[in-house]
Amino acid sequence: MKDRALLLLAAAGLVAILCWPSAPGETGPFDLEAWASLPVSADGRVKPLDTVARTNLLLLSNRQQLRLGDKSLSAVPWLAEVMFAPERAEEYNVFRVQDPGILEMFSRDGSQPQRLRLKDILPLGQQIFDQARLAEQVPAGERSLYQRGMLELFSHLQRYIQLSRLEQPYLIPPLTPQEEWRPLDFMAAMSQAQSASPSVPAFYFRMREAYRQSQPAAFNQAVAEYRQILSTVMPRQLWKAGVEVGFNRYEPFYRSMLVYGLAIGLAILFWLGGSWQARQAGAWVMLAGWLVHTMGLATRVALQGRPPVTNLYSSAVFVGWACVGLGLFLEKYFRNGLGIVTSATVGFLSLLVAHHLAEGDTMQMMQAVLDTNFWLATHVVAITIGYSATFLAGFLGITYIVQGFFTRRLTRAHSQNLARMIYGVVCFALLFSFVGTVLGGIWADQSWGRFWGWDPKENGAALIVLMNALVLHARWGGLIQERGLATLAVCGNIVTAWSWFGTNMLGVGLHSYGFMDSAALWLALFVASQLLVMAIGTLPLDHWRSFAAKAAPTPGSDATPQVPTPA
Amino acid sequence: MTLRAWPLKLLASLRLTVTLFALLMILIFVGTLAQVELGIWHTVNDYFRSPVAWIDPGVLLPAGRPLGWAVPFPGGFALGALLLVNLAAAHAVRFKLSWKRSGMILVHAGVMLLLVGELVTATTAREGQMAIDEGSWSNYVYDLRATELAISASPDDPASPTSTATTAPSGEIVIPDTQLAASAGRTIPLPDLPFAVEVQQWIADSQLIQTATAQDLHGPSSMVAAIPAQGQSTFTAQGQERLALPSAYISLKRGQESLGRYLVSAYWENSQPVQVDGKTYQIALRLERHYKPYRIHLIDFKHDKFVGTDVPRNFSSLIRLEDLQNGEDRQVLIKMNHPLRYRGETFYQAAYKPGDTGTILQVVRNPGWLLPYASCAMVGLGMAGHFGIRLAGSLRKEVR
Repeated sequence: MKDRALLLLAAAGLVAILCWPSAPGETGPFDLEAWASLPVSADGRVKPLDTVARTNLLLLSNRQQLRLGDKSLSAVPWLAEVMFAPERAEEYNVFRVQDPGILEMFSRDGSQPQRLRLKDILPLGQQIFDQARLAEQVPAGERSLYQRGMLELFSHLQRYIQLSRLEQPYLIPPLTPQEEWRPLDFMAAMSQAQSASPSVPAFYFRMREAYRQSQPAAFNQAVAEYRQILSTVMPRQLWKAGVEVGFNRYEPFYRSMLVYGLAIGLAILFWLGGSWQARQAGAWVMLAGWLVHTMGLATRVALQGRPPVTNLYSSAVFVGWACVGLGLFLEKYFRNGLGIVTSATVGFLSLLVAHHLAEGDTMQMMQAVLDTNFWLATHVVAITIGYSATFLAGFLGITYIVQGFFTRRLTRAHSQNLARMIYGVVCFALLFSFVGTVLGGIWADQSWGRFWGWDPKENGAALIVLMNALVLHARWGGLIQERGLATLAVCGNIVTAWSWFGTNMLGVGLHSYGFMDSAALWLALFVASQLLVMAIGTLPLDHWRSFAAKAAPTPGSDATPQVPTPA
Repeated sequence: MTLRAWPLKLLASLRLTVTLFALLMILIFVGTLAQVELGIWHTVNDYFRSPVAWIDPGVLLPAGRPLGWAVPFPGGFALGALLLVNLAAAHAVRFKLSWKRSGMILVHAGVMLLLVGELVTATTAREGQMAIDEGSWSNYVYDLRATELAISASPDDPASPTSTATTAPSGEIVIPDTQLAASAGRTIPLPDLPFAVEVQQWIADSQLIQTATAQDLHGPSSMVAAIPAQGQSTFTAQGQERLALPSAYISLKRGQESLGRYLVSAYWENSQPVQVDGKTYQIALRLERHYKPYRIHLIDFKHDKFVGTDVPRNFSSLIRLEDLQNGEDRQVLIKMNHPLRYRGETFYQAAYKPGDTGTILQVVRNPGWLLPYASCAMVGLGMAGHFGIRLAGSLRKEVR
């Protein structure tokens, strides 16, 4: 009975997470929802205004919603204000500045606002420009926080002004194959608005005037008429823009992150003495989360026309996906809840990391040298699967150590099972990380004539290969037993985290496509935590609860339940 | 005396394998950190392509400076060689040819090939660049890491990047930088010329500065002086590794008579005219050149950007390759990820001249370039086969 209640609860939780309505669309008389799904071209990519609004607000203010006194303003209405009523928008506290030295410039009566208004910044524009120009001449790795802050503020300022002058994004679509996307020419738009035959610039001009004069009906009509034209001229782009808006609103990765949390909870309940149904429900729930995750990835692939991993953000999304996929496979065969807890944890964490890496448009265009679907689909995917598997082995190692040291669950059979899981996953990791690394070398040979350049990212990849090879050879040579296997697998977490993020922080070489500051702190914390787990793993067995109390067999044991399993 | 004598056993042991892996991991990690201070080129030569790596602990810290003392650590060559020996010995001692072992043997053969490939690359690969302006020809590759003093008796400008000759200009005499550096303070005789070169001062990593007063100096300007580069960081503001360019003060001499003091510098693109006995010679300190028996003409360089951004979408060079020896005369489009392979060399789109007026091709000669391809296939197949067989067995056991 208790179990049935539990299962019902889990099902209700799953339905709640997956079917919870998206953030309410833009209500109000203006049909901003339809306006936000209009396709435009920004940063070289055709996307809906919805994405432009979200990425710019996040970039400038590091927030998804603006707080204005006791009200809040979400991204789309904010962008409408910036584009159509800039004199109102300059009053909003949008610009996030962190460096105290820069904030000082803007302090009023000793108080410093959390976000600056354009109105505060513009009077000091010349000073910001001069400082940014000075900072630009310093090599990127040697800039002070102040200099980096100035450069950032300057680029944000430029971005904002381009938005408010309608220079970016490019609003006017190519109506013939010879044309390219272009910005709105305001004067031309104004004159065309008077003429009888409607043109695209004229539509935007009408939207603007209607918005400014608070005439929702006229605004909505202009949007609808323009959509009508697009649906005949570029139906595909219009449809894609609509799909992207749906993707933005549904936030599939956020939802699957929550579902993974639910799955972890169920599997832990099973460990704490729950019935096999708890574990089974956990597996089904994880599968559901993984399907949503898959759907999100597939949507990105379809929208971008690229393999799933194109930048640091998408690598985090993919690491979680591949790891949960592997975990489902493990759970199908081992049926002990370990596949759920470990892989869902990696899935959860990597989606959390992805969430914090999302800066600007996460589907941005690729630099020329990366513009090749073949290598992105082979090298990058293989390397990223290698990351996933190494992390999975590492988290299985953590489970081994935590269960052995803090609980009595690590029986002989359980220990053997865990070691087999770790061993298998490390083999898998070695295969993918090696093939991925060498394919990367071949790509490098193809594109800049150097199979191996000893650049930090390549070295990081080599470290993962060596780490996995070291674990396997140490096991084959009998230098480590089950516990040593688990401890060394945890070391794999450190190596992978270094290779994935640490190498990008060095700012050297052809692979350094992202520079991160606060990330360095998180990386250090992660490495410290892994070192701690490894240290515990090497403590004498007398201190391990599972080994100190060998006597009684533990309840809820690891014997494989004799039931069919899902997934 | 059997094959299993103890030294062989030790060489073949997995304990040695694991130790070498661990040492290699430390070397790679340390070598990665050191790049921030030393740059990739120095690190590769001092750490990875060297039998012993002398590690200065100072360069490993964030914003660290060399401490001036170093700890020896086995370098990449030493560890690679030991790994090869270890692998060969293991196969001699432990592995028997069998179907079950075939995957592992294939994997190890592939790894050996990879190590050998990197050794071949380390010892034989040569990298240079070829710069061509739109509408002109080039017939030489220059080395970014070596310079030479060129003295030409022909009217052809030896520093000009647009020489039309198909072979090395006749009457061109070059003195490599190694000889110039070793001859500081001495005179280098030039048998074919009516004068000799005295190297008064050689500055390997130099910078040019304006002086307040004119010096007793021939050259593009007597108001310019060369001094050792000071306070220069390893990387430029654009994140490129800074190249050390030399300058030298030289004096041309006939017997004991001085014909004038000159400043030559690799910073200058053009050569300087020198009048001796009414004849004009051109001298230049320039990046070391390797002339080719063929020449390349740049028809068009293209630099496409994504609409409305400065993000490059593609770079490409449409060239004409003319090789009179081989009877080749054809057009080739070199672009990102599509190099031209010709006569054992590969031409990659690497960079471009300011204003997109010309192209810069990376030119690489690497006789071992195919080895990694074979290695990747061997290891991938071997591992998939080996682990696949074991996984299938393991799962069968589990399901039972």
